[in-house]
Amino acid sequence: MKNKFTLIFALCLWSVATLGGGYQVRLQGHKQTGFGLIGTPFARDASSIFYNPGSLAFYEGKFSISAGASGIFSNVLFQMQGMDYQARTDNPTGTPFYGYVSYKFKDMIAIGVGVYTPFGSTTKWDDNWAGRYLIRDIKLSAIYIQPTIAYNYKDKFGIGAGFVYATGSVELNKALPYSPDSKVNLSGKADNFGFNAGLFFKPTEKLNIGVDYRSEISMDLEAGDATFTVPVALQTMVPDTNYFDASLPLPANLDFGIAYQVNDKLTLAAEVNWIIWSSYESLDFTFENNPELLNSENPREYKDTWIPRIGGEYKLNDIFTLRAGAYFDPSPASEEYFTPETVTLNTIAFTLGASITPLKGLDIDISYLELHGLEAEKNYSPDNFAGTYKTAAFIPGIGLSYRF
Amino acid sequence: MKKIHLLYIVPLVLLAACKPNIDEFAPSKGNADFSSFVAVGDSWTSGFADGSLYISGQEYSFPNIMNGQFKKAGGGDFLQPLMLDEYGIGLATGIPKPKLEMGFHPDCKGVVGLVPAYADVPVNMDNLNPLNTGIHYDNISTPGLKTFYMGVPGMNQLNPYYKRFASEGAATMNDEIPLAAPTFFSLWLGSYDALAYAIAGGADPMNPVTTKEVFAGSLQQTLAALTATGAKGVMANIPDVTDFPFFHTIPYNALPLDQASADALNAGYAQVNAIIKGLGRTDTIHFKSGANAVIIADATLPWGFRQVKPTEFLLLSLPQDSLKCAGWGSQKPIPGQYVLDEAEIAITKNAVDEYNSQINLLIKDLPDVALVNMYTIMKEITETGLVFNHVNINARFVTGNFYSTDGLNPTPLGSAVIAHYFIKTINASFQANIPQVIVSEFPAVKLP
Repeated sequence: MKNKFTLIFALCLWSVATLGGGYQVRLQGHKQTGFGLIGTPFARDASSIFYNPGSLAFYEGKFSISAGASGIFSNVLFQMQGMDYQARTDNPTGTPFYGYVSYKFKDMIAIGVGVYTPFGSTTKWDDNWAGRYLIRDIKLSAIYIQPTIAYNYKDKFGIGAGFVYATGSVELNKALPYSPDSKVNLSGKADNFGFNAGLFFKPTEKLNIGVDYRSEISMDLEAGDATFTVPVALQTMVPDTNYFDASLPLPANLDFGIAYQVNDKLTLAAEVNWIIWSSYESLDFTFENNPELLNSENPREYKDTWIPRIGGEYKLNDIFTLRAGAYFDPSPASEEYFTPETVTLNTIAFTLGASITPLKGLDIDISYLELHGLEAEKNYSPDNFAGTYKTAAFIPGIGLSYRF
Repeated sequence: MKKIHLLYIVPLVLLAACKPNIDEFAPSKGNADFSSFVAVGDSWTSGFADGSLYISGQEYSFPNIMNGQFKKAGGGDFLQPLMLDEYGIGLATGIPKPKLEMGFHPDCKGVVGLVPAYADVPVNMDNLNPLNTGIHYDNISTPGLKTFYMGVPGMNQLNPYYKRFASEGAATMNDEIPLAAPTFFSLWLGSYDALAYAIAGGADPMNPVTTKEVFAGSLQQTLAALTATGAKGVMANIPDVTDFPFFHTIPYNALPLDQASADALNAGYAQVNAIIKGLGRTDTIHFKSGANAVIIADATLPWGFRQVKPTEFLLLSLPQDSLKCAGWGSQKPIPGQYVLDEAEIAITKNAVDEYNSQINLLIKDLPDVALVNMYTIMKEITETGLVFNHVNINARFVTGNFYSTDGLNPTPLGSAVIAHYFIKTINASFQANIPQVIVSEFPAVKLP
């Protein structure tokens, strides 16, 4: 079986990392990923640092450590409107990861720290594809570091909050329509601060309710490097090296989840996430040299989205736990400003997961997420770039969790 | 047993997941037959660009681009009378020239600028040798062709471009049409009936605007030849040729002066101004520090010259060195052949309007001929511009991507835009589904 999987991985190696909702990647725990990515109404382990700091002081044991990673294999297909032209992305695998550690005092107060990657996108089109003047490739990544404190009131009510330090980088390449060799490379780094706060209720032994809010973090990139390649005739207007400012919002999330333990074996849960994408209005570049000519304002006009999720978990025995879930992730992108740099469609997702518990407190968590971006005709109207997009992704992941 | 079954399904699901599919574009010819496409027209149909007819320009002619798409829906070959090399021959100046290229060249004052200049190669006159006359070409067009040339006997001796591919037994260019046996055609002819007049600054007695009667009669003959055996086709109307960058690149106030030079010129024109005032007129000549309207010849005035109006056009053919170093426009009036004045602009525009009315009348009786409204499309290019896949297209010289370095004829990208709108009309009119060209893939003016 292992060989078969290897083969499939190899077959999909041309793939790209572009997920359903914008450039958000909610893969911060494999127990949650397998459960429809539902995490707010649970107190599983230190991964509560991301999913709901309010439940951090509720796990069993004193110490919790949890870490894992996923491989994102995905593919975007584009069919240009009215033409016999199709293009596919071609990209190395995306690898979001997470790591958390926490410690509980007197079963009341927990402190912990998490490192995770909630945003990222890698889209690589062929260098000569028809949309190369919009984008050739873009790599966007952000790492969040979050020290957290949480309080547990009589195993009924929890509250927790974390301070988030985010550091991110972006690099993009596109062709310029001045000559066959004209192009620009833009790259830079940014960091900023935010927070993550949550509440957790356990009105009965069987019912868990969680609410969590993660603030927006604006990645304000200053003096990034811009490298232009243009014909000699244009070099006085477009200098080879330049510096630019740009700003990209990593949007706020408000999550509300409810979980019900049907019996000793079966737990069901539902969650909704409100993703406040509307702050992503425009991607603007401001250049230091020749700003009149080079500055560009590129409307994005994202809209807020609601993601409904359902999932279930079945405890087969003391060793095996199985999970499954599904959700619908609507596209935040505007109809008129849909760009091939972040191909984000209305997406249906299915999840599977399992935990293997060889000894008490130790879980080997595996998850599998499959995304289907629904075929849709889109246009980036400022550039008159129109066509039909379809996406698919599958994301296996593995992690370890240890409590004692 | 059950478990194994599931494990086999999972990889299949994975495979399906990692490679989505969308139905591919399905070309269709609708109720047209593209098996023998024939194009009739002028410079634009021939692929003339950069002041010359040369191989790659011809390969990028809009009908050749269109035929490349027709081939995907039952189209056949499209034979063009290709030149021998990449520099070709242009005869616009009366002297054979190779194509224009953008380059850095010093002007008369030694100031180096990025300007179009004839390629520094000898002209290969063999380019004008007759080709194999046993072949009937599908691209029946020549640079500068006017409507009535199609019916003139002996044109093979008068038009060196036609001489190259004239068929034996074709008394006129219209006679080439049945020999090429069209099943589908494009006809875009008549721009030069007005444009030749305007390019000459309205000053060439050999090139008046064609009357609407001759225009309509000539086109009717050509259309009759094209439709004689039931071919369907498209016909484009005439753009406002005065919008071409040839008329808009040199500004009317192309004379920069400092105060001292302005004073000196004013002193020089004092006598003339006294005469003008003496005649009771107010259009005296006056210069100031800054940009000044140039002096142009005007035979309607007793004293023979005046300052050009902002609404009048200086032509791209105006020698820049004469303007900068020989006192043209300041001490000497610019000759009328380099100026399109108000009256001449009106004559040109009026001719275009008349021609388009005639085209509307002609096409009304031809249910199988669809109109491509290039007048409107090219107005849009001039006034607001177009964008295809991020590439901007407008009527500005060189930077606008649409016009080549002669300011009159399209770049390959411009030809692709034209092909786009022709195909759009064909698809709408003949229930066809011809795939569009990717306009942004075509080159525009090559910069050094």
